[in-house]
Amino acid sequence: MTAVAAKPAAGSAMNPTAMVIGVVMLIILLGIAYVVSPGLGLMALIGVVIGGVLIGFGVHFVPVGGAPAAMGQAPGIATGVAMLAAGAGLAGLFGGAWAADQGFVIAVITGGVGGGMMMAITCMMVNFVYVFGMGIPAASGKVAKDPITGDTQPEFKSQGTEGHGLPFVSFVGGVTGGILGGAGGTLIYLELLSLYQATLPTVLNASATQVLPIAVATAGIFAIGMFLVNAVLTAYNITGTIEGPHDPKFKRWPRAIVASAVASALCGLVAILIVTI
Amino acid sequence: MEQIVFGIGITALAGALATVAGSAEDTESNIGSQGDPNSQVQLAPQMGFVHRIFNKAVAGEPPAYGLWCALGAGLAWAFLAMQINAVLAIVLGSLLAVFVQGVYATTAYLGRTASLSKFGQPVYVDILKSMTTVAMAHAFVAIFCTVTICYLINVALGHPFPLPLLGFIWGITLGAAGSATGNPYYGKERQYQNQKFGAGVPISASGNIVRYAEAGERNSLDNGFFTSKFGGPASGLCFGLIVFLELWRTVVFDKLSPGWGAIIVGILIILIFTIVDRYIEVWARKNYGPYTAPVKEAAP
Repeated sequence: MTAVAAKPAAGSAMNPTAMVIGVVMLIILLGIAYVVSPGLGLMALIGVVIGGVLIGFGVHFVPVGGAPAAMGQAPGIATGVAMLAAGAGLAGLFGGAWAADQGFVIAVITGGVGGGMMMAITCMMVNFVYVFGMGIPAASGKVAKDPITGDTQPEFKSQGTEGHGLPFVSFVGGVTGGILGGAGGTLIYLELLSLYQATLPTVLNASATQVLPIAVATAGIFAIGMFLVNAVLTAYNITGTIEGPHDPKFKRWPRAIVASAVASALCGLVAILIVTI
Repeated sequence: MEQIVFGIGITALAGALATVAGSAEDTESNIGSQGDPNSQVQLAPQMGFVHRIFNKAVAGEPPAYGLWCALGAGLAWAFLAMQINAVLAIVLGSLLAVFVQGVYATTAYLGRTASLSKFGQPVYVDILKSMTTVAMAHAFVAIFCTVTICYLINVALGHPFPLPLLGFIWGITLGAAGSATGNPYYGKERQYQNQKFGAGVPISASGNIVRYAEAGERNSLDNGFFTSKFGGPASGLCFGLIVFLELWRTVVFDKLSPGWGAIIVGILIILIFTIVDRYIEVWARKNYGPYTAPVKEAAP
C-alpha cells in the first residue's frame, strides 16, 4: 500500500486522559498568568488562547494534498499544511495589523477577510492550473458527492489516482480556513500589542510614542511565531494531508483544539512574562 | 483625494512587482525542484531511474522564501539606517540574501544527492555549477521584487510593521502562492510528460520521471524553461492578485465608513473568486470526462 492509498487508521480516536491533562495544564498556565499579572496579562493570555484555537481549528478546513497533489494523484493544494495556512494567516495578519487603529472588531474581521481573500485567489488559481494547464477536472477521493453542490465525484477520478484538483467543498473549506486563521492571528497580535503598549513605557522608561515601534514589532513576531506553532500542531493532527471539512480526518479537530489552547497558553505566557517580570 | 491616487499608483506598482516575483519564484523553485515534486526526484534513483535533475528541497518554499526575503529586507533596513540610497540598499540586501540562497542550494543539492549514492546516483559537478547560478539569478529577482513591495508598503503606504517583519510575511505568502499554483504543473505536466494528458499520474508510475530531452539527458534548466511558459506566469498572477487586491481594497475603500468599506469589498472579492472557481469547475466537468460511466445508485 502506498502512502497515498493508506487510510488514516490510528489517531482518529480521542484520548480522554490526554484531553483532561491538557485542560488541567491550560488552567495552571492561566493561573500563573493571574498571579503574575491579574488584569492586563490574564486578559491578553485569554485572547491569545482564543486566537490560537481559531488558528488550530481553521487549519483543519484548508485542503492540502502535499506531494501526491503535485502529481495529480490526490485532491488538494500541492503544498504543506503549515506552509499554506501560514501564508493565508499571515496575509490576514498583515491586513489586520494595518486596521489596528480602527478598533478591535474591525481589525479582527479585516484580518479574517484578508486570509480568506488569499485562500480564495490561491484555490481559484489551483483549479485554473489543473483545468487549463493540465486538462484535469476536480474530483474528490473521500466522498461520492460534493456535499455543497451535489456533483458526483468518482467518474471524474482518473485511473490509478485518489482524485485531483479542488472540488467546490474544498474551495469553501480553504476560504473558511483562511478566514479563521487570519482572524486568529490578528486577535493574538492585538492582544499582545495592547499589553506591550501599556507595559513597555514603564519597563523601558520611555514615552508611549518611543516604545510604539518596539511594541508593534514584538507583538508581530510573537503573533507569527504562535501562528506557526498552531499550524504545525494541526498538521500533525491531520497527518499531513486533508481534503477539507468533508474529509473523515476533520473529525479529529477537538484534539487539536485542546493542544492549540495549551501550546498558545504556554507561548502566550512567555510573551507576557517578558514585560511583567 | 491626492493621497488615494498616490496610493493607487503604489498599489499598481506593488501588484506588478508581485507578479514578477511570483513568476521568478516558481521558476527558481522548479529549477531547484524545491516544491512537492522533489519527492519524485528523490524517489527516482531508488526505483532505478538515475537522473540529472537538481534537487535542493531541504525546506519548503514558504519558509525558505520567508528566510530569504526577511534577510533581504532586514539587511536593506540596516543599509537604510546607514543613510544609503533606498534603491541601492534594497539591491545590496537582496544580493546578500541571494548568497545565502546560493550556499543553501549548494549544500542542499550535495546533501540530498549524496544520500542517494547507494542507489547509484552520482553527484554531477557540472549540474551544480550551471544550475545553482541560474537558480540564484531567479531568486534575486523574486527577493528584490518582494523586498521592494515591502519597502513601498512600509514607507509609502504607512504599514506599521517594520521592513524585516513585512519581508518575512510576504516571503512566506510568496512561497505559499508559488508552491500551491506552480507545483502541479511541474510535478504532473513536466516530470511525468510521458503520462497521458488530462489525467493524474497513476500511483504505480511514481518515480518514473522523464529523464531524457530532445538531445541527451534532461536537466533542470529544461524544466525551468518549460514551466516558465505556464506555471511561472500562473504563480505570478496568483501572488500579484493577492498583493494588488489586498492593498487596493485597503487604500481605496478604507476611508468609507472607517474600516467597513475595505471589509465589504474584501467579502465581495471572495464571492467573485468563488463564482469564477465554480465556473472553472463546471466548465471542466462539461468538457473533460467523465472517465468512467456514472455509478447508478442501487434501488432501495
